[in-house]
Amino acid sequence: MILTLVLQALAAAPPAPSPPVEQALGVELTRAMEGLRLPDAAPPYLIQYDLLDGDVATVFAEFGALVDEDVAPYRSLRTEVRVGSYTLDSSGFSSFGTSNGIVGRRLPVEDDLVALRREIWLATDQSYKGAVENLARKQAALRGLTDPRPPDYTTAPPAVAPFEATGTIPAPEADRLRGLVVTLSGALAGTPGVEVGQAIARDWQGRRLVLTSEGTRVWRATGYTVVRVEATTRMADGTEQRDSRSWIVRRPADLPPEAEMLEEVRAMGAWMARLPTASREGDYLGPVLFEGWAAQEVFSQLLVPELLGTPAELSDGPPRNGARARLGRRLLPEGWSVVDDATEPGPLGAYLSDHEAVAPRRVELVEDGVLQDLLMSRIPNEERTQSTGHGRSLGNDRRAAMPAVLTVTPPRVVGDARLRKKALRLAAQTGRDYVLVVRRLEPPVLTGDFDVVFTGEGPLPGLTEPYEAYRLYADGREEPVRGLQFSGVDRRALKDIALAGNGVGLVDTLDGPPGVGRYNIGPTGGVPVSWDVPAILVRELELTSQPGGEPRAVVPPVVR
Amino acid sequence: MRASLPLAALASTLLLWLPPAPSHAEGSVLDTLGQVLDDVAAQLASAADRPYHVALALTDQEELTIQGTHGAHAGTSHGRRRTGDVDLRVGDMRLDNTHKLRDGGWFDFPNRTRIEAPLGDAGPVMRALYARAVDDTYRQARQQLIKVRSNQQVKVAAEDPSDDFSPATPVQARVPVPPLQLDKVAWTELTRETSSIYLDYPAVYDSAVQISASREETSLATSDGTRLGHGRLHFRVATWASSVADDGGEIQVYDYVDVASADRLPDRAAVTAMVRGVAERVTALRAAPLVDPYAGPAILRGRAAGVFFHEIFGHRIEGHRQKDEDEGQTFTSRVGESILPAFLSVVDDPTTARLGDVDLNGAYAWDDEGVPAERVSLVERGVLRSFLMSRSPVEGFPRSNGHGRRQPGFAPVARQGNLLVLAENPVPYAELRRRLVAEIKRQGKPFGLVFDDITGGFTFTGRSEPNSFVVQPVTVWKVFPDGRPDELVRGVDLIGTPLTTFSRIVAASDEMEIFNGSCGAESGWVPVSAAAPSLLVTEVEVQRHEKGNDRPPILGAP
Repeated sequence: MILTLVLQALAAAPPAPSPPVEQALGVELTRAMEGLRLPDAAPPYLIQYDLLDGDVATVFAEFGALVDEDVAPYRSLRTEVRVGSYTLDSSGFSSFGTSNGIVGRRLPVEDDLVALRREIWLATDQSYKGAVENLARKQAALRGLTDPRPPDYTTAPPAVAPFEATGTIPAPEADRLRGLVVTLSGALAGTPGVEVGQAIARDWQGRRLVLTSEGTRVWRATGYTVVRVEATTRMADGTEQRDSRSWIVRRPADLPPEAEMLEEVRAMGAWMARLPTASREGDYLGPVLFEGWAAQEVFSQLLVPELLGTPAELSDGPPRNGARARLGRRLLPEGWSVVDDATEPGPLGAYLSDHEAVAPRRVELVEDGVLQDLLMSRIPNEERTQSTGHGRSLGNDRRAAMPAVLTVTPPRVVGDARLRKKALRLAAQTGRDYVLVVRRLEPPVLTGDFDVVFTGEGPLPGLTEPYEAYRLYADGREEPVRGLQFSGVDRRALKDIALAGNGVGLVDTLDGPPGVGRYNIGPTGGVPVSWDVPAILVRELELTSQPGGEPRAVVPPVVR
Repeated sequence: MRASLPLAALASTLLLWLPPAPSHAEGSVLDTLGQVLDDVAAQLASAADRPYHVALALTDQEELTIQGTHGAHAGTSHGRRRTGDVDLRVGDMRLDNTHKLRDGGWFDFPNRTRIEAPLGDAGPVMRALYARAVDDTYRQARQQLIKVRSNQQVKVAAEDPSDDFSPATPVQARVPVPPLQLDKVAWTELTRETSSIYLDYPAVYDSAVQISASREETSLATSDGTRLGHGRLHFRVATWASSVADDGGEIQVYDYVDVASADRLPDRAAVTAMVRGVAERVTALRAAPLVDPYAGPAILRGRAAGVFFHEIFGHRIEGHRQKDEDEGQTFTSRVGESILPAFLSVVDDPTTARLGDVDLNGAYAWDDEGVPAERVSLVERGVLRSFLMSRSPVEGFPRSNGHGRRQPGFAPVARQGNLLVLAENPVPYAELRRRLVAEIKRQGKPFGLVFDDITGGFTFTGRSEPNSFVVQPVTVWKVFPDGRPDELVRGVDLIGTPLTTFSRIVAASDEMEIFNGSCGAESGWVPVSAAAPSLLVTEVEVQRHEKGNDRPPILGAP
């Protein structure tokens, strides 16, 4: 009898109450779907709330001295109200200076139902009004256009993941990161010629809640820890050369041992110390061997735009005939394949669901060098109508397709010796007794280049600046070179890969979707993307020599 | 102003003091800056075009902000940063690289090198960062001087041939700045609690109550021997609320109290009263009618009059504008002439820290060029006497009077501090109002206006645009000649041009009101105050305020 009662009690136990912020979102969602309507305008057909709730710590040091530190809670809501229908709605249209129906708003950090509801109420109202206007603008822009167009949005089955499944979220480890940036940046002190020796770290730990009027209610733990060390060395002729090292992990405990990180930074410092005596490479036209880290950047910068199926936004201006991913296009030589698989835990880019709460699926993108499939968010295109679970973006941007965990596999991988031998043979055909090897390329997130930011489409040379490059001679001699930049590189260079070698294994990065945002993210922002690529030898690339500068009149003392 | 009682007295058991920022001006920073100056002098000793003046500054800023909204704690932020500045001159005092290029192109203005300096005592790192910045600045300065000299040759003679820089007596002083201390627990509770008051007012849609506490400490070392460390504490308790009128007009009311020490912060009752006042004003304004464009007599109450003078007078007597031929130079050639009614005098006095019971935001002891602040008599009985001067001289005013100011990261120029408008033969406000009614009747106007409170304003001083001003009022009352009660109205800005408007000031009241705020111009944002009596103006013009078009929220508030 007693046992029965206990069992009944257990069976009848109500589910754990949802957190106040979820309650507040739920109440306002219901209220808005039932009553939010302007006279003579359509009501919302879909409301999506995307909440980020957690804590963030950022620390910054230069040559071992702490420069900035910020630790604060972070609770921010992205509200997207859609008006119209899945076929034609208020999304995907931009008009300079007007709202597109997506509203970002900070929420109170305290779990007060009334206060939270008021903020959500105001955000939803603003989002709805923006959506109504944007739909009208979009309809006006489409008026008279006869080309068939895909639907604006796809349906997705409701998904549910409770708050409890996110477990305990650790507090950001500001103290540890502070010590780390001081130590790592301090390791560059005393390096001859190094004028800038900085380290920055951010630890963001929190939860994401996607709550929609379709019935989706998905809580996920989210966050990452990033540590970057950047250095600039200045030569006697006034030219500058930058370099960096990055560690991007789920949380501080996943960072390598400090000694290992220090060793990396010291290796970078040692490389930079050699640069003042290195040759300034003249203009170069010939084969280029990209070691693993640089190869990852080559694929990231040249291949990714070819894999994403999200169509460009419409706008008030004339229709743009911009580049887009094309199924059936040859992207790589025969035998190469590219797969995105975010479903396997381990890499930082893996996840259970994307920013639209859609679970990712493995996508075999490139087979035998030819593009066979696309990464998709819930925004369809002419060829693909379903999300692959890759809808992610920076901040409050529209949820477009982004890669997650990409593996690039060549038909065969040769050993380092053979790869180098082949590279030298190709170089000899151009009359050189050495081949240019690029070990590291500048990550887009660190690009401060005005041209890149101004044009917004990517670096004008096609690839970012080489951070570490050297001449490789037949006798194995490696001679650092400096002052080079690429010229006129585009995706076609990938078809010119002659051979692949051993990569460096899994590389976790922070990145953004192609476009202006990608080059303007800053050292601690971005969306996690993981890569596994081989080293590559490209038959022919062009690099030009950067102009020199002016020697220092006031020479900064070497920090020790 | 508002009553001030120390909150600490109410909540002494809850005190949690912030860890004080180390006071760096006591030696190490100034010593480091001095070492950099020595290094620079030694390294450039044989350079033909070496700098003739170098100023290195470090500003240490700490700020704590606590905000409550809708009865909840919205968030706390606490940050500290140190910004380094390098000001370097090549050439000589007569003509140097800072000389403005006439008809200069987009890229004729050098980028300013800004230093993010370490928070702790890190002399070697600081020396490296400053040396780097000095070299970058030096390179640009030399290039700029070439352009300046060429510009001088190509262009006609300048109207004002004054030098580019003036000597100043080196200052050696170190005034410690107290640590920033605030009862975080008590203020978190107070902002949370008082923010809930707005929930009683259905017309208020969005709102907040906030306290911000800041500490700023500046170290300045110059090649002419100045070694100066000083700074200030500043606290602001502020609240704002917003609504949307049925016609789409956005209504925002902001109120605040500025004080210079934590023990002068307003108490719970005062904050509550401030919040209720804002809520009631928003409610009243939401129902208030719009007023059409109008020209007629008006009273500018003290705070509005203070901003009015700051915009239309103060910016035009900043020294550097008198020799900038792109500027309108309204008063450049009027020294010794009458520019205001004879019953008005104007001074700018950064040395006055408090007026009555109100701490003045524009008070300081030394400006950002290390020159002691001076009380400057600008207008005496209506006659223009002087300008606000930095170390950039103008004809007839060869030296600084301690008004070279800047936000960290900018180059100093002449700016206002505490602008005080003083009236002789003032009358009680009731009499001023009686005269307004008489003026309305005399002009046969249907009503006059009283500008009770303002949010701010702006002015154009250049020649390429109309030399007009805009003062943005929040609370405006219609006053009727037939004795009807005054009517609250909304949706207008006060506009005009300086000389015409000055000529129409006919009387002043016997009470002073103070506007504390921040002023933005070429050298960034600087704290300022403007104090004035209420002024009767025989004719002002108002235009419609920029209006929003959004409907009020569709659904009722939760």
